[in-house]
Amino acid sequence: MTCAVLVDTVWLMPEKKPLIHMQQLMLRYPTGKTALSGITLDIKKGQFVYMIGESGAGKSSLLRMFYGGVRPSSGSLMVQHLDMRDANDAKIREIRQRTGIIFQDHRLLFSRTVFENVALPLRVQGWQTQRLIPRVRKVLEYVGLADRLWSYPQALSGGEQQRVAIARAMTANPPLILADEPTGNLDVDTARRVLDYLMDLHRNGATVIMATHDLHLLESHPGRVVQLHGGALVGDDS
Amino acid sequence: MTRIPTFIKKFREKKEQQRHPEYQSGRSRQSTVPDQLHPRLPGGFNLPPFGIHQLLAVVIVCIALWAVGGIWLAMQAGSQWVGSWQDDIHIHVYLDRESGSAKHGDEADKLEKALQSIKQVRAVRRISAAEAAAWMQGWLHQADINEADLVKRLPLTFEISLGDEKSSFLFDDIRDAASRFGGLVNEDEVSLARAHSWLAQASWLAWFASLILALAMALIISNTLRMTLLARADEIHLMRLLGAKEWFVRMPFILEGLVLGGSAGIAAWILLWPIILGSSAWLSGMEVDLSLWSLFPGLLFGGGLVGTFGALIATANVVSAETSA
Repeated sequence: MTCAVLVDTVWLMPEKKPLIHMQQLMLRYPTGKTALSGITLDIKKGQFVYMIGESGAGKSSLLRMFYGGVRPSSGSLMVQHLDMRDANDAKIREIRQRTGIIFQDHRLLFSRTVFENVALPLRVQGWQTQRLIPRVRKVLEYVGLADRLWSYPQALSGGEQQRVAIARAMTANPPLILADEPTGNLDVDTARRVLDYLMDLHRNGATVIMATHDLHLLESHPGRVVQLHGGALVGDDS
Repeated sequence: MTRIPTFIKKFREKKEQQRHPEYQSGRSRQSTVPDQLHPRLPGGFNLPPFGIHQLLAVVIVCIALWAVGGIWLAMQAGSQWVGSWQDDIHIHVYLDRESGSAKHGDEADKLEKALQSIKQVRAVRRISAAEAAAWMQGWLHQADINEADLVKRLPLTFEISLGDEKSSFLFDDIRDAASRFGGLVNEDEVSLARAHSWLAQASWLAWFASLILALAMALIISNTLRMTLLARADEIHLMRLLGAKEWFVRMPFILEGLVLGGSAGIAAWILLWPIILGSSAWLSGMEVDLSLWSLFPGLLFGGGLVGTFGALIATANVVSAETSA
């Protein structure tokens, strides 16, 4: 599988500083539930990180914090050199534009075509239609869906829908890709293929953080494994 | 059907390739993918698709704008109609013959001078009883009234030409002068001369009605857009998760409000034409010549303004989970 798509932009960052830095990170929801407590962790640029743990361990909450979906209650969190506790709306928007997010339920827009779904991040970043058409074509060719450009997501299989979600996450060439259980609803073979794409993105320089339950994937696609339990960090094989 | 010559086709293809070289090469590779040079992308200055809700909103707002247009047409007609006869209005002050000649011979002169001294009075003409009787005879179509007898009964009349009938205290001054010398003012004529004040009051009412209708229209458009917003909540949420700016998320809806209001304004303006055409003969008899073109900018921009206001109300509080930083 080739991934010439991602090589045209190089994200320049100081090498020594981690891409994501957490220090005694804590998240408490307004309901009083503590989702994360005392997490101290560094994720360097270019790593492929699996985030594992039982349901409710805090994987999704942690991923949400990486794109500013929720703010830390205490501790510090630096994402792409931005302090997420003090960041204003504009900074959060910048972080989101530099982050590709793949959701478990893929959150595709079913009233929009595959092209429109994949073009959305570029559109948000102000790309003109004529400029983004070849880019979207290229990305969809990469995930093997070039012939489904004008199809609606409803006409696609679960695996194809997840590939569209991957295409959408990578189309703006982000240095960080967050995947929240992207293989959760897929069969083993399709899940492996989806992971192949993520691995390929990683090989081409992107930092990938993936929350998953599918531990068997770790054997075929090795990476750093971070384990959460009850909102606390209980394992890190770095 | 006209056949396009081959050289023109080739020229067009060449031009198209020059404009979108990568797109064209992609098409040749993926022949199964149809062309779509103008995809419908969300956000920014792209309008959301129109549906039945939007159509209904246009119809309702069009009816309200049509009513507003009708009100202002009526104001225009009223103003022209009043203007057509108001310049000819004269106020008559009557002085009893007893007061005017027999007992107080100089009272009539004093009254005339008093009336002439009023600043807004242009001219005062004394009408003799004989002249009044002759006029009355003509007015009654030669009713064979005994003019000599009529002359004895008619009062002495002063005809006042007004310089500025809109002046605040003009009629009070005339009444005051008349009462000082025992004269009486023709109040019916005063009422007609003050028609401009009725028009001013009607104008306030027209503005008030227009504002109430504008508020109703804005709420209708706001409600329609709110439904569209709810239907597109996922799209809005996703755009925010991808880092879209707020103006980018809201602009399509504001544009939609503008377009809804503006198109309703144009439709209302078109629907006002039957009123003009149907009543033209009647209106020309009243020396009224209505101009619908003067209403066009008001209805178009007013509709657009109301639509934009409705859209601003609808998009004022669009909250998505996970997106408030």
